[in-house]
Amino acid sequence: MGAAVDHVSPMGMSGGSGQRFSCKNKLTALVVDNGGVCQAIQTAILRSYGVETEAVETGEAAVELIASGATFNLIIIEMLLPFMNGPETAKQIRAMGAQSKILGITAFFDERDQQEFLAAGADKYIEKPLSPEIVIPIIRKLDN
Amino acid sequence: MDRNHLKRQVDFMKRSLLDQGYLDEQFIQLEELQDDDNPNFVEEIVTLFFNDSARLLQNIEQALVSGPIDFAKLDNYMHQFKGSSSSIGAKRVKNECTRFKEYCTAGNAEGCFRTFVQVKQEHAILRTKLESYFQACISFIWQDKLDHLGLQEVKLDDYMDEGGSLIMDLYYKYDEAHMIK
Repeated sequence: MGAAVDHVSPMGMSGGSGQRFSCKNKLTALVVDNGGVCQAIQTAILRSYGVETEAVETGEAAVELIASGATFNLIIIEMLLPFMNGPETAKQIRAMGAQSKILGITAFFDERDQQEFLAAGADKYIEKPLSPEIVIPIIRKLDN
Repeated sequence: MDRNHLKRQVDFMKRSLLDQGYLDEQFIQLEELQDDDNPNFVEEIVTLFFNDSARLLQNIEQALVSGPIDFAKLDNYMHQFKGSSSSIGAKRVKNECTRFKEYCTAGNAEGCFRTFVQVKQEHAILRTKLESYFQACISFIWQDKLDHLGLQEVKLDDYMDEGGSLIMDLYYKYDEAHMIK
């Protein structure tokens, strides 16, 4: 008894099979999304790349967190949030002097929303899902 | 059923789900997030999705039948629903959401009703298919573990008929042997 087990899962990578991208330096991120599924997935994606990630459900909570002194290299903000929307959240975060990279994210891409988000201080605006093609270059740039 | 056969079954099911457009690349990305620390991540996320989306579908249905239709409210619900659908890689569901949004933006109630039927249908089909897929994954994982212990083939269905108690016996034996947390 006690035979060594190679934990092989048909889903996902077993230990040692291929190198996943991971940031070299300590990076932090904040996910602002009131959708449980989206919040969980975005958080997991960022953490898998070695980014220390927190998540909140509202713009108000994000602003409060940053006002309390928390700093983040990357902030991902959903467009449609309850009460204070994504662009307003970005605007308030920028007004506090935060230098974070802000990524606006939405279920349905809309040019007017994009303009609003970018004018509010977001650096980029994308449609869900959060994909490696989008997020890895952003993390790499922050990492360097 | 041996390990290799079960593995082929799992791979075939996943390939079919992708080829038939039920799932897209995003689902593969989620599977790549699974590791020893989060071995059930995909199943947990998918379960969360179906719980959340059941609530959203109910809200949408309610908003459609209580007149006059509040298209802004519908748009909001569908925004959330499409966001989570695309995040788990539910391709067909996501496409129906996009169609619904177009009718919603146009204030076309009949279009919304018609498309909503399709949304629910694709949602239900995906749920059934993913349940089967995860069941196949579980069968493979168990057979893989038992193979490593040198135990005989297990027919999960037989053990399930026993009320699951034999499954638990095997689990504890495996647990003792490998001190799985």
